[in-house]
Amino acid sequence: MHSLAMQSLAADVLPGTLQMLILQTLSRGPLHGYAIAQQIKLTSQDELQVEEGSLYPALQRILLKGWVTAEWVQAGPKRRARVYRLTPAGRKQLAEEVSAFTRVMQATFRVIQPV
Amino acid sequence: MEWLHQLHRRLSFLFRRDRLDHDLDEEMQFHLEMQAEENQESGMPADEARYAARRRFGNARLIRETCRDFWNFPVLEFLWQDLRYSVRALAKVRAFSTIAVVSLALGIGANTALFSLMNIMLLRALPVKNAQRLVEFVRADGSSMMTNLPYSVFAYFRQDRAVLEDVFAVYGSDAVFRAGGAAPEKVYCHLVSGSFFPALGVNALIGRTVVPEDERPGAGSRVAVLSYGFWARRFGRDPSIIGAAARVDGELFTVVGVMPREFFGVDRSESPDLWAPFAVNTTPGDQAWVLGHLKAGVSVPQARTALDPLFRHALESLSSELQKWPQRDREAFLAQKLLVNRASNGTAGLRWTYWECSNTLKILMSLTGLVLLVACANLANLVMARSVARSREIGIRLAIGAGRWRLVRQLLTENLLLSLAGGALGLLVAGWGHRLMLGFLVHTVALDFRLDYRVLGFGLALSIVTALLFGLVPALHATCADPAAVIHAEPPQRGASNIPLAKALLVTQVGLSLVLLVGAGLFARSLRNLGAVDLGLARESLLLMNVHASGDRLQQRQQFWVRLTETMWGLPGVQGAALAGDAVFGNGGWNKTIWFPRAGRPAESAQIAYDPVGPGFFATVGIPVLLGREFGEQDRENGPKVAVINQSFARRFFGNESPIGKRVGDTVGQYEIVGLVGDAKYGTVREQNEPMIFQPVSQEPVSASYVLHVRTGSEPARLAPSIVRQIRTIDRECLITDIRTLPEVIRSQLLQDRMFATLAGFFAFLALALGCIGIYGVVAYRVAHRTAEVGVRMALGAQCADVLRLIMRETVMLLLCGVLIGTPLAIAATRLLKSLLFGLEPQDPVTITGATVTLIATGVLAGFLPARRATHIDPVAALRCE
Repeated sequence: MHSLAMQSLAADVLPGTLQMLILQTLSRGPLHGYAIAQQIKLTSQDELQVEEGSLYPALQRILLKGWVTAEWVQAGPKRRARVYRLTPAGRKQLAEEVSAFTRVMQATFRVIQPV
Repeated sequence: MEWLHQLHRRLSFLFRRDRLDHDLDEEMQFHLEMQAEENQESGMPADEARYAARRRFGNARLIRETCRDFWNFPVLEFLWQDLRYSVRALAKVRAFSTIAVVSLALGIGANTALFSLMNIMLLRALPVKNAQRLVEFVRADGSSMMTNLPYSVFAYFRQDRAVLEDVFAVYGSDAVFRAGGAAPEKVYCHLVSGSFFPALGVNALIGRTVVPEDERPGAGSRVAVLSYGFWARRFGRDPSIIGAAARVDGELFTVVGVMPREFFGVDRSESPDLWAPFAVNTTPGDQAWVLGHLKAGVSVPQARTALDPLFRHALESLSSELQKWPQRDREAFLAQKLLVNRASNGTAGLRWTYWECSNTLKILMSLTGLVLLVACANLANLVMARSVARSREIGIRLAIGAGRWRLVRQLLTENLLLSLAGGALGLLVAGWGHRLMLGFLVHTVALDFRLDYRVLGFGLALSIVTALLFGLVPALHATCADPAAVIHAEPPQRGASNIPLAKALLVTQVGLSLVLLVGAGLFARSLRNLGAVDLGLARESLLLMNVHASGDRLQQRQQFWVRLTETMWGLPGVQGAALAGDAVFGNGGWNKTIWFPRAGRPAESAQIAYDPVGPGFFATVGIPVLLGREFGEQDRENGPKVAVINQSFARRFFGNESPIGKRVGDTVGQYEIVGLVGDAKYGTVREQNEPMIFQPVSQEPVSASYVLHVRTGSEPARLAPSIVRQIRTIDRECLITDIRTLPEVIRSQLLQDRMFATLAGFFAFLALALGCIGIYGVVAYRVAHRTAEVGVRMALGAQCADVLRLIMRETVMLLLCGVLIGTPLAIAATRLLKSLLFGLEPQDPVTITGATVTLIATGVLAGFLPARRATHIDPVAALRCE
């Protein structure tokens, strides 16, 4: 039921674009999972709400594909954070996804724009 | 390449699963704490802040599961699940699993054993250089192909430069081997051209091989290379043997090398003791097997065309020897064709003997194939019965959302598991099975028994095919039902749809079993006929041995043979002893042309089998003398020439007249017939009696070797050592080989018949047992299914007998259908056996009737046991169930 409440505040990420958003966010520098979620929210000016849990499976998939690497860094006296860093392959993938997404979005706009 | 990286990452994930779980937990924990801290900063109480963070995060457990799916191989994971589930499910039904695994092990094992045998004999490449380009030269006339060529063909082919990379000649023959002070020994020797070893590219284990220089005239004493087996047996692996002198058939040889254990040459059916170069005085007419390597890129037809002129020249070069031949034979010889055969798997010998010229392997293949089919039909039935019993389980699983394919896969995994277990056990069966079959088939063959990747692959492929064969249809069948109907309706309605298929399978199984039963019956009866056939001589207590005199001079030899016979007659326990040129159940005598003078007409001639025999021969071997006398001391070398004939001879050439006193002739002179003896089998148990003529050894040129026949009072094998000792006292250097008793000889002749009878009998028994299980299963199921119906019938007054009849009618119908299909099938299939059967036809009505009756009787019995249970049904209880 909690997701209903959230939907009223912000739109969910478009299906299939979460991966692109993560890669884009990481392209500005290495971040840990929480920071990625915050960053997306911030950059989209609170318009896009990542369902935070779904971030982690997405990160695992990207990790498996070899588009990011992960390493543990100390974050405070008794805490570690896993920081993800974009690889060159990840950068290439991002470019491809962005261009494909832009193409689809532009086409979609052309269709839905009032004549 | 990318997938490779990914695979690597996945594999590394697979092995660090715990750490990954832990990492993920820590990471998510970090996230929640950060979020909670932020919430707290914006003014929430601590508890509320943590709760809000968790709510925003979503279902952590689900996320963990999703992540794990990325790390793992879902297919493998499912397979592992399926396997574990299958093992548990199968362990619950032990009887079913045991029957399935054992019947599959026998079915797959028998087929794998046979494949392994064929692999060894026919498929495996020779372990020599460029085996794929090795060819064998064969001559062919209208009717047959022969691998023994005149040596001149080799001499001419050596001149070729166009198509052959190399060419070599081999020829095998027995020889007497003497070395050191030990008793002489018979060895099997391969004479080889100097090009033989270089062409095969094999080296000696110690010393050297035969080289081209050894062939040159004036190369000094001939060289010999020993086989590993002979070296070990005769010289105890003594390496100092190199350079030692040995005599082979009297000629001096120097041992120059020993071959590795695995080397056998180019023919797997041969295991020579030694190799030696051809003698310098080898004539063009001597025999040789000729082989060679084609040049790279040369095809077999090209080679044939290019070599044909040389082959013609080689035959024509023998013209001086051919002059002596009759005109017709000479023309036939010159008209022979050259054939070139690929020999990459070894020379054609084994292939011809066991594949092209014999049905042995084909029959074995049909037998083992049939058994596997029967086992599959049976298993399909059992699996189906089981899936009926599981229909509720399957229905529920379908209902709660299992995909149909997922279930089919699960069921197939179970079957595959059974099949692989059967296959693994089958490989063990195959391990001793092919040795067993080989022991029956070939005797003195040094074959490499190791199971290789081909056999393992065959076993695996067969297991998988088998699993699909018996498992796919039942699995599809079990999962196509509507889950709602399954759960709501009573089981019988669901099972009913399975019954036609089950019946069809059972009918097939019965039909195939009948084929096996008929085959087994035919072989058994044929073997009995062979054992009971009248040989015309006394088969028990007859000892045979080949004796080779060592003396070179004729007189020496003659004295030896006379003294030998005299000594034998004096030995205690010996009831008779005689020499013969050819042994009974040896080669069947030799052929020669006999002339019959006819009054007032030109003499007739015919090819007749003959054997020179010593005094007392017929009494010794137990062939009755019907008229006149047998040979005795009075038939001396320069006395009047005499002969003894058998009944077939007398009947064919003298009709009803008494042959005693009649005269016949051969190329040497004329003989007076002094005795008539009964017909006896002389070569094989199977042969028809043919005309035969016997002449006294004393009136023939003295031979260096004869076969000694000894009739003993007691067990012949026990007397053999003392007989051998006695012979050695007369001639220390003489060679005694092949000591055997007549029953042994006959037994080895019938080895193949016994093999077929044993294997076919065993397979038929197996098929019958499986058939019983199948019928029992189906009838038991039907009884369970019709409980209510039977209850109603009994409540309305049906008697036990009526119920029994009701149930059994179905069983009998099934059996009759099976027999109806099986009989024509059996008649068609057993035609293949015609050449192997003795004293009966493949369509032997007694056998077919016997097999049918056995099958129906056993089937009825198998159906009767569960049917009887139907008669014990309590109508009240049955109706209450409804």
